[in-house]
Amino acid sequence: MNSPVDPARLSISVPAAAPVRTRLKGLVEISTEHRVVLALAFLVIFPWFAPYEALAVNILVFGLFAVGYNLIYGYTGMLSFGHAALFGLGAYGAGIPIAKFGWHVLPALGLGILVAGAGAAMIGWFATRTRGIYFAMVTLAAAQVVYYIAFQWVAMTGGEDGLRGVNVGVVNLLGLHLNLLDPRTKYYAILLVVGLALWAFSRILQSPFGAVLEAVRENERRAAACGYNVRRVRLLAFTLSGLFSGLAGALYGIHLSVVPIETLHYFTSATVLMMTLLGGMGTFFGPFVGAFTYLLLADVVTVITVHWQLFVGGLFVFLILFFPRGIWGSLMHWAER
Amino acid sequence: MKNPAPILRCEGVGKSFEGFTALSDVTVDFFADRLTSIIGPNGAGKSTFFNVLSGTYRPSVGTVHFEGKDITNLEQSRFAHIGIAKSFQITNLFPQLSVHENVRVAVQAMHARWSLWRPRAHFKEVVEKADALLALVGLADRRNETTENLAHGEQRALEIAVALACAPRLLLLDEPTAGMSPEEARDMMKLIAKLHETRAVIVVEHRMKLVMGISNHIVVLHHGRLLAEGSPDEIRTHDEVRRVYLGSAI
Amino acid sequence: MTFDLFLLQFFTGLALGSIFVLVALGLSLIFGLLTVVNFAHGQFYMLGAYAGAFVLAWTGSFWIAFLVVPLLVGAIGMLCERVLVRPLYGRGIDYPLLLTFGLGLMLLDGVSMIAGTEGVPFDTPAGLTGAVNLGLFYFPKYRLFLIVVTALLLIALWLFLEKTSYGLIIRAGALDSEIVQILGVNISRIWLVVFGIGIGIAGLAGLLAAPMRGVFPEMGIPVLVEAFVVTVVGGMGSLVGAVVAGLLVGVTYSFTAFYFPQMAQLSMFILMGVVLVLCPRGLFGRAGVLG
Repeated sequence: MNSPVDPARLSISVPAAAPVRTRLKGLVEISTEHRVVLALAFLVIFPWFAPYEALAVNILVFGLFAVGYNLIYGYTGMLSFGHAALFGLGAYGAGIPIAKFGWHVLPALGLGILVAGAGAAMIGWFATRTRGIYFAMVTLAAAQVVYYIAFQWVAMTGGEDGLRGVNVGVVNLLGLHLNLLDPRTKYYAILLVVGLALWAFSRILQSPFGAVLEAVRENERRAAACGYNVRRVRLLAFTLSGLFSGLAGALYGIHLSVVPIETLHYFTSATVLMMTLLGGMGTFFGPFVGAFTYLLLADVVTVITVHWQLFVGGLFVFLILFFPRGIWGSLMHWAER
Repeated sequence: MKNPAPILRCEGVGKSFEGFTALSDVTVDFFADRLTSIIGPNGAGKSTFFNVLSGTYRPSVGTVHFEGKDITNLEQSRFAHIGIAKSFQITNLFPQLSVHENVRVAVQAMHARWSLWRPRAHFKEVVEKADALLALVGLADRRNETTENLAHGEQRALEIAVALACAPRLLLLDEPTAGMSPEEARDMMKLIAKLHETRAVIVVEHRMKLVMGISNHIVVLHHGRLLAEGSPDEIRTHDEVRRVYLGSAI
Repeated sequence: MTFDLFLLQFFTGLALGSIFVLVALGLSLIFGLLTVVNFAHGQFYMLGAYAGAFVLAWTGSFWIAFLVVPLLVGAIGMLCERVLVRPLYGRGIDYPLLLTFGLGLMLLDGVSMIAGTEGVPFDTPAGLTGAVNLGLFYFPKYRLFLIVVTALLLIALWLFLEKTSYGLIIRAGALDSEIVQILGVNISRIWLVVFGIGIGIAGLAGLLAAPMRGVFPEMGIPVLVEAFVVTVVGGMGSLVGAVVAGLLVGVTYSFTAFYFPQMAQLSMFILMGVVLVLCPRGLFGRAGVLG
């Protein structure tokens, strides 16, 4: 698989360049080293200038979803067209315990993550037997299966109408009394979870395993010759991706108090792919930039017309033709030159 | 490193692709204490043979044994773990990673590859080994460059460093001097000779002069079959070999 | 299950499979030669159905639609290739895939805008209604027509690829496009034509499926997934694979629908899963080579 984007590298060479460029490069280096802190700092102050709260939470949720997706697409080079399945599995995995069995939100979140991870492992087991475009096709087909099952299993999932009653009102945590019905509180609670996830994600990227992902993306044959079991690496990456995307889904359901069947729809898979592309694959901030831009644009467009698939499609086409590196990716690329 | 048993042995190895037979009935023993080169005119099957020995292809017939163990059907990713490393004919590195990272990630394959939590720099042993390998091939000062910025000869040297990362007991090199200038090629050959001091080396080459210079043993392939094998002198004066290489200076 | 019932299910499966074959064939043709995974393929299928409905309304003749639709949709496909896909050659497999995906979304919504979201009625053409007596059982005339047309088309395609010099160039181009170019052949025109043929076949499939499956904007989406399943089962880039796998998937669906109706939709995915475990490259898989 070809990857058009420079990965977020830890060691960046500083050549003899113009002073402005050097300073910019220095900024890039610093921002990469402290990326989690910076991301969180931005997100903490974000609600103050976000148009409205629901958008802000959506950005958190879809940003995390895109981060999970970026792990396999941007960093490992595997194009998946079925990530809606992982998002949805997380959403239902957390939503059903809360709505139907009255679980406390934290173990429900845990279950959502586990369900999504297990689903990713199963789908991944089949999908990683293939590569490249086959992989995309198999993931798409797998997501359709999950969608179909959820659609039919009305007793558990609510079928077409979605899962209702995912109500998390007040959470008592470590002596803190959190009223999640207040939009601000909800945002910061979700931000806390997302922040922890981002931190974990950053650790993974920096870890030896993160290096293996990059190697596999860069040159699969060489990686195998070095002794890496590429298939196993991909499976693990896919499962990890499922954990993050599943967590995002779980948070989404809690945020909406409903799990719509659309979370499993292929359009959701397209949306996360779009956000990752828009922001910039293989970059740390890219997914959030992409989620932010996409959701903002979508909001604007739906005011104008109901035919926003046309807009999404057109945006896709435009991006691929002219900005395959995405917004953040293009910035990074320019800065590093 | 005197060892009477062959480090690599192939018996009756053949390889066919959809009706086209690239190799047939090749039986050769490779010994650790002699640097063996595989030569032959274009189309002789050298590359296919190399790919069978190094694990890219499974042979259609025949067996391959490494240190007495049957590796005929061994998966490519296991080769590095049992002690066989290779370099590719066309430079095959990790393009957007730095020179250091190329080697580091190769060394890591033998160590902490599944660790998800600690940062890479934490595993100092891996980093130090990588730096040592870079020094060995003369690339220590290019540590932070991307591979794309390296000269061709430097890339080939990096290729060797990456291959050495798994501490192989057998090193397979596919046309290591391809595309190099005469001086670069000489340097490469010196490096290879030095490497042979501590491990078995098998080289596929078609530059006869270089081959004659450093090899202890030569295997000649022709039309996918074993034409001859012997010491450089024996091969130089071998009638069949001369006929096949008609005109080329030996 | 009695023999005549078995045959009935089998033939029903063949009729269904014929649609799968046609769609997967176009997809494989385009991938085999251009290495492009056309994610808009289902939408061209949908365009074919709409174009057919339109021509039918305008001329009243199904047969005119039968001739015109593949040409029309194929032409639209060629336009897309020239303007959108062409700039991406050489940049890796991901790009055309993603681009065609975006294109597909645009086509879908574009059609919704023009023709509405509810769909258009499409009746079985006169002359092909009713059932025909095939000895052991009665079989819907239209479905028989479908099987026959697909078979004829396959023969025509085979003849074209194997027996004509143009077909030879296409097959050569699939094996090694560089050499073909060196030999003086305008490879980009070949790509254009092959893309057009692949899309045209998809459009025809949409037209043929219309009386059975209806005409509505989202009709192309399940079809795309089906085409992918068939391709994975048959092997990407293999035309023989597309045919065998298409019929296999159709027949599997038909028999599953008889015994376990709720599982029918899932049957093709289970088949795909089994094939993936046993032969990950598909039954006839060899990436990038036709036939």
